[in-house]
Amino acid sequence: MKLLRARALAFLLDLLVWAYLLYSGFTLYYLSALWSPWRPEEKLVWPALSPWAWAVVLVGLGEAVLLTQAFGPSLGQRLMGVHLVAEDGAPPKLAARLAYFGFSHLALATLGLGSVLHPQRPWHERWAGVRLEPLPPPSSAVRRPPWYRTAYGLTALLVALATLAVGWRLTEVDLRRLVYDASKSLRIWYGLIGPDFRYLLAPDPRIKLSLVDGLVQSLYMALLATVAGTVAAFPLSFLGARNVAARHPVGWAIYALTRGFFNVVRSVETVFWAAIFAIWLGWGPFAGATALFVHTVAALGKLFSEQVEHIDPGPVEAVTATGANLLQVVRYAVVPQVLPQYLAFAIYRWDINLRMAVVVALVGGGGIGRHLFEYKDDLRWSLVGAVILLFMLTVWVMDYLSGWIREKIV
Amino acid sequence: MAHVVVENLSKIYERGKVRALWNVNFSVEKGEFLVLIGLSGSGKSTLLRCINRLVEPTSGRVFLNGLELTRLSPRAMRRVRRRIGMIFQQFNLVKRATVLQNVLAGRLGYTSTLPSLLGWFPKRDIQRAKECLERVGLLDKMYVRADQLSGGQQQRVGIARALMQEPELLLADEPVSALDPATSHSVMQYIEQINKEDGVTVIASLHFLSLARRYGQRILALRAGEVVFDGPPEAIDDRKFKEIYGEEAEEVEIR
Ligand SMILES: Nc1ncnc2c1ncn2[C@@H]1O[C@H](COP(=O)(O)OP(=O)(O)O)[C@@H](O)[C@H]1O
Ligand SMILES: [Mg+2]
Repeated sequence: MKLLRARALAFLLDLLVWAYLLYSGFTLYYLSALWSPWRPEEKLVWPALSPWAWAVVLVGLGEAVLLTQAFGPSLGQRLMGVHLVAEDGAPPKLAARLAYFGFSHLALATLGLGSVLHPQRPWHERWAGVRLEPLPPPSSAVRRPPWYRTAYGLTALLVALATLAVGWRLTEVDLRRLVYDASKSLRIWYGLIGPDFRYLLAPDPRIKLSLVDGLVQSLYMALLATVAGTVAAFPLSFLGARNVAARHPVGWAIYALTRGFFNVVRSVETVFWAAIFAIWLGWGPFAGATALFVHTVAALGKLFSEQVEHIDPGPVEAVTATGANLLQVVRYAVVPQVLPQYLAFAIYRWDINLRMAVVVALVGGGGIGRHLFEYKDDLRWSLVGAVILLFMLTVWVMDYLSGWIREKIV
Repeated sequence: MAHVVVENLSKIYERGKVRALWNVNFSVEKGEFLVLIGLSGSGKSTLLRCINRLVEPTSGRVFLNGLELTRLSPRAMRRVRRRIGMIFQQFNLVKRATVLQNVLAGRLGYTSTLPSLLGWFPKRDIQRAKECLERVGLLDKMYVRADQLSGGQQQRVGIARALMQEPELLLADEPVSALDPATSHSVMQYIEQINKEDGVTVIASLHFLSLARRYGQRILALRAGEVVFDGPPEAIDDRKFKEIYGEEAEEVEIR
């Protein structure tokens, strides 16, 4: 049964690997031959291969899989922890491998019927005089060949190279531009060196807020979101902890729901939440703070819950034995064990929220980010420089402060 | 009527399909000191936890003063647990909390939820905590964090926590296995004192037979979840000993 599963999954994995390599090859070929970022008007079109050509490609794919498996261990076989051996347990000879390669076509033609009927050793393995065995553990006396002399090692190398090459082309990496076009960014660097602090205290006539006003707004957005988020995540974290909540079916459902909520909300980035709340609540700091809050609850909730799941169960048992109810057990056996970590996480979250409070302005979240993005759009780089410098200073001070506080409590 | 009665008690852990207890029967009189012995894995901890239902038995019944505990609702069981003290091999104190807070936790079953969540205990409970700490000789450590204490002191805090419950029954799961011999005896003497002076029934599991002989009025031996001996300490001869601990075992003395 185990071998049958390994055989089937190894085949699927190898098929996937070769299909991926094929896809990479096609992508690379058409990206370089027909389309380039400098001629975007020519769309990337996938090849219209004739049915014949497709048939050849698909057969080639199958052959590649069978070949790597016969001269394996292939990547799929390696991942499933099996390899081919001859009758005597030694690596198969060339003739046996070729025979196996030939006979496996029959196995493929019968859709693996042989493997289903004889999971231990299907016909094609018997005829070729080989058999599939679990890989010996790495500690055993048998020396394994180095990876670059195995089929799986070379296939893995191919996969890595293909991924790198396709990634390089798709992200339009162009090192020449990095060097030759550097001068285009000079104005920004000048702006940073010669920042224009004219709106530091005086309100910007368009935004109606000075830089300091915006900064204070951002700080309070982050502070409010962090504090409220921590307070909200605190009770939720116990519902999301298996060892506290999931003690009976109803509790298990609550646990699963809470964890699901954390994971879903967390996976939507703060900026997306800000975009949603900017429409819901109107542009401004309220939308930004709400977005920060929502993401904070979910992120902290998950971290907190994991802390609860890693506590020492001894005190829980002891306090339960005194006749305390669940709330009392949580208060007296769980909370004291997790409180310091909770505070450390909350402070860490404050650092994140302070930075995110700037980003949310991009979609209407208010705060000093608004200055940043407006000046940037107007290409007023010395004003941008002032915002960045002011914010950097604040972040330094805050990071230092929070690090100091964290040290004091943990 | 016996104080504690255990009838046909069996426990099978679903995870791992372990038969931890199999058809265990015994009863304990009021004021008795019963010692459980057996190799590790023989089911001692499971048996103790089935009595106060920290572990839910698979089948069988447990009675306390004739009341069938195995049939009680969780809420009713919590009320009964108030009178069953328990101390543990690893002490199971909240390490970051003070000694006083740990001892007060023994009173939670008698305290209403809201005040206790706010950390508020009646004055007489705090007075009682001081008395219990005085009894185990730790009054001066009241405001010390529990993790600052030695092993023997921590176990004495565990005893004080159990005393707060005004127990009629004390369950002790290898209370001295984590302690050195001298400290072991001092801790065992506190437990013996509670048994003798307050008339509290004690069921304690002990790792060493010599400790069991010294403190137990009666010994119950488990082997692979089954009772293989139930009787006075003197009745354990060499043959019985080998039956409980296996052929290779040698009796070690701990003084
Ligand atoms: N929570 C559990 N889940 C599964 N098996 C357990 C659990 N607790 C104990 N066991 C098993 O039950 C048997 C009895 O364990 P235990 O009662 O702890 O024995 P003792 O206290 O005498 O060492 C052992 O085989 C142990 O592995
Ligand atoms: Mg045990």
